[in-house]
Amino acid sequence: MNYLDLTIKEIHEALLKKEVKVSDLVKEAIERCKNDNFNALEATNYEEALKEAYELDKEEVPSDNFLFGIPYICKDNLSTRGIETTAGSNILNGYVPSFDATVVKILKENKAIMIAKSTLDELAMGGSGKSGHKGIQYNPYDETKNHLIGGSSSGSAVVTAASYVPFALGSDTGDSIRKPASYAGLVGYKPTYGLISRFGLFPFSVSLDHVGYFTRSVEDAAILFDYLNKYDVNDYTSSLKERTKVYPLNEKKTHKIAVIKEIIDSIKDEEILSAFKKLLTKLESEGNQVDFVSVDSSILKAIYPSYIIISSAEATSNNANLDGIKFGNRKEGNSYQEVMFNTRNEGFSELIKRRFVLGSYALMSENQEEVYLKAKKVRRVVVDTINKLFEEYDAFIAPSSPTAAHSLNEVSDNLDDTYLIADNYLGIGNFGGYPSITIPLDINKEHLPFGLSITGKIFDDAKVLEIAKECEDITGLKNLSTVTINEKEGR
Amino acid sequence: MNFEAIIGLEIHVEMKTKTKMFSNGPIQFKSEPNTNITYLDLAYPGSLPRLNKQGVINAIRVCNALHMEIDHDLYFDRKNYFYSDLPKGYQITQQDRPIGKKGYLEIEVDGKKKKIGIERLHMEEDTAMQHHFSDYTLLDYNRAGIPLVEIVSYPEIRNGEEARKYVEKIKEIVTYLDVSDGKMENGSLRCDVNISIRPFGSEKFGTKVEVKNLNSTANIETAIDYEMMRQASMLIKGETIQQETRRFDETKKETVLMRVKTDAVDYKYFSEGNIPPVHLSDEFVENAIKTSNELYDEKLVRFENDYKLNTVDAKILLSSKELSLYYDEAAKNTDLYQPLANYIISEVLGYLNKNDLSITEFSVKPKDVADLVIILNEKKINSKQGKDIFAKMIETNKSPLVLKEEMGATIISDEGQIRADIQEIISQNPTLPDDFKNGKTRAQGFVMGLLMKKNKGKVDPILANKLIVEELNK
Repeated sequence: MNYLDLTIKEIHEALLKKEVKVSDLVKEAIERCKNDNFNALEATNYEEALKEAYELDKEEVPSDNFLFGIPYICKDNLSTRGIETTAGSNILNGYVPSFDATVVKILKENKAIMIAKSTLDELAMGGSGKSGHKGIQYNPYDETKNHLIGGSSSGSAVVTAASYVPFALGSDTGDSIRKPASYAGLVGYKPTYGLISRFGLFPFSVSLDHVGYFTRSVEDAAILFDYLNKYDVNDYTSSLKERTKVYPLNEKKTHKIAVIKEIIDSIKDEEILSAFKKLLTKLESEGNQVDFVSVDSSILKAIYPSYIIISSAEATSNNANLDGIKFGNRKEGNSYQEVMFNTRNEGFSELIKRRFVLGSYALMSENQEEVYLKAKKVRRVVVDTINKLFEEYDAFIAPSSPTAAHSLNEVSDNLDDTYLIADNYLGIGNFGGYPSITIPLDINKEHLPFGLSITGKIFDDAKVLEIAKECEDITGLKNLSTVTINEKEGR
Repeated sequence: MNFEAIIGLEIHVEMKTKTKMFSNGPIQFKSEPNTNITYLDLAYPGSLPRLNKQGVINAIRVCNALHMEIDHDLYFDRKNYFYSDLPKGYQITQQDRPIGKKGYLEIEVDGKKKKIGIERLHMEEDTAMQHHFSDYTLLDYNRAGIPLVEIVSYPEIRNGEEARKYVEKIKEIVTYLDVSDGKMENGSLRCDVNISIRPFGSEKFGTKVEVKNLNSTANIETAIDYEMMRQASMLIKGETIQQETRRFDETKKETVLMRVKTDAVDYKYFSEGNIPPVHLSDEFVENAIKTSNELYDEKLVRFENDYKLNTVDAKILLSSKELSLYYDEAAKNTDLYQPLANYIISEVLGYLNKNDLSITEFSVKPKDVADLVIILNEKKINSKQGKDIFAKMIETNKSPLVLKEEMGATIISDEGQIRADIQEIISQNPTLPDDFKNGKTRAQGFVMGLLMKKNKGKVDPILANKLIVEELNK
């Protein structure tokens, strides 16, 4: 066993006891990154990271700073000063930002060490982990590389699941952290909108974008939350609410938990259903109130189309700055129009262009009422419906996705209930800005993990984490990674 | 056929704030290009906008001066289009809910007041400055993000003169409020004109033509009058006016076609998610108004009533805001309001005009001018001495009271001493009384001349005159 395979909290304890040095951890992390077999990385920061590690070796490990010397990897749509940041798009090849995203700055101030940037679906638009300019990110649970890890935070999911680092930053606009977390057996957390600063996050859809992260335990997720949950003057949507620490989490509290019947009904995978049922029984036996509730399925089915419309519409505008005039991968031309056209035409993939066309269509003045504004109305209806649910319940839970990781060539029917409801309900968390977390639920016969998601009221992050901890205790799947599972199974 | 013109103006005013509307990029004119910039001004990915409070306060003040309804909830939208001077690919503006609605201002035409309705005032941001050269263009992002308010009039303006007066009034308001430099020549106030004509009595609007590139109020008047003529002669000839954008050619004094408008650009407006709606408390809005500078019209009423100045003089003092402030400051030292006004209008302005200076370049303190007016009025010095002291004040910046002593500028008003001097002069020129009685008034001036010569001009002239007449009549 290597210390890098532990959780943040465990590594911190080992550092405190001087069992391991920061430079040992960083060297190992670099080594693993160099041997990356799943196509997870973008620019690397090895030299700087090592330099910092040697500096930290000389310092006394502070007992109150969990992040001291902890290696991590950052999704490549977060601005990093002096390190190329491309958001997985050719249009940003060669773009080296001059400022750090607020989350990166906070981690730096607390002496966490960034090892590399992780790749993603182009501009974070996509859920497959195969649309970025690096190509496909493979799921490390299948060494034959026949399974996807999902996206858009595909690289960050790989590096946490394959234990290159104990945590990685991501972003979540529809389910871009929580879905790959499910396919990768990870804890993936997206706190309440406005708690973690978006400053420095390359925008996809500003009203839906959240910064979040992957860890391998709920406790680590709580620890990280306390660092990143800060008001930021640079983000006008940053919440003014006073922040309270969630770690250590309250234990042995019982909760009122809802299960939306229509979501469960749209799932066909027996292994997932039975693991979920088992969990519910356990939760009830430990004194929680678990109720099946019904939500109009037409509302649930409207989430995905309205998500696509809102996010694509906002994306056209949010990415209009990528024109080759000021920065980025400029393609020359004889006029500014030609420069813009050539830069954008060569810089974006077909998939992105398709989203832009869709988004522009939704915003055109003759369509806006019928398309974009209607999608926003649907969003309102969804949020009102869920808020009503939250009047009675602390949270609702469901499997994070209707299946475990997809194989490379699998195609899903985008119009059936399974896809429209079970595969896309996580968008609720973005529509309402709710705190929403994925944790591992179980591992299937193919040795692929699948997750459980818990979504709670806004600003009720502590409770969501508490419930997640309780579920993690039930499943026993703490610190799951390809390394630990191989050890466990004697491979 | 007789036509009437339907004219609406869109005016952009750059607000004077320390930083930009949505970033903390500093605003300083005369800076090196691309030095007053932040990440947002260049639209680096991940940069986010913030709202400039002073920008909002300024907008509220202009709304108030234009008698507008002020929206206490601020909403911002994105106006999406691609252009080389637009860093983000969209401009943050207020499309759906402008901060100000339904206002008006009053202009005076042919001695009659006319109200011009104002549809809306909204806050937005400026674009980068482009410097075009023969085969390349340079971009200066110092201007990108400077706060703007756009003021849109109802189409209630009927000719060039009204348009000019409307713009002059806006300019006066923003400069008196001190929210903008309001200078058309350097682009801190910009005006676009929409103009169409129709036969008198017709209810139907004609085709609208937009005129841009108007960099002075005089050009606005000339351009509109030209455009009215052009459109009228086209209609008379049976030609069709097309929807187009024209610019004003300053040398030819006419409007020139820039481009024909095909379909209007679809800006795909939608709400700016990075700036959630902001509620302004009543207190905030009231305070912005309460602490706002005095407007021209308010000041005029005050000058006429508190200082009892006549309208002509008051308007001269109000011809620039700085001059009015100078007078206000000087008037704190004396209640000789009218003599003070007279002095500033004749002497101070005379000096400034002669030397082509503005009041802001005038180094003499208002209090010193007031003191000079006081000693002149009390006849402690005569007007000749006053002129000398004033010249010295400009040169040395010393107070007139100090200079009076230094220059020995005193007036002899001792009746006994003056009479004795007069008697002595007459005794040396004994024919004078007879000359005087025979109607030769020259004798009187002759005595005065010698008297002044003897006393180096420091005799109180009015008293001396009276005594000379008495003595010559003896």
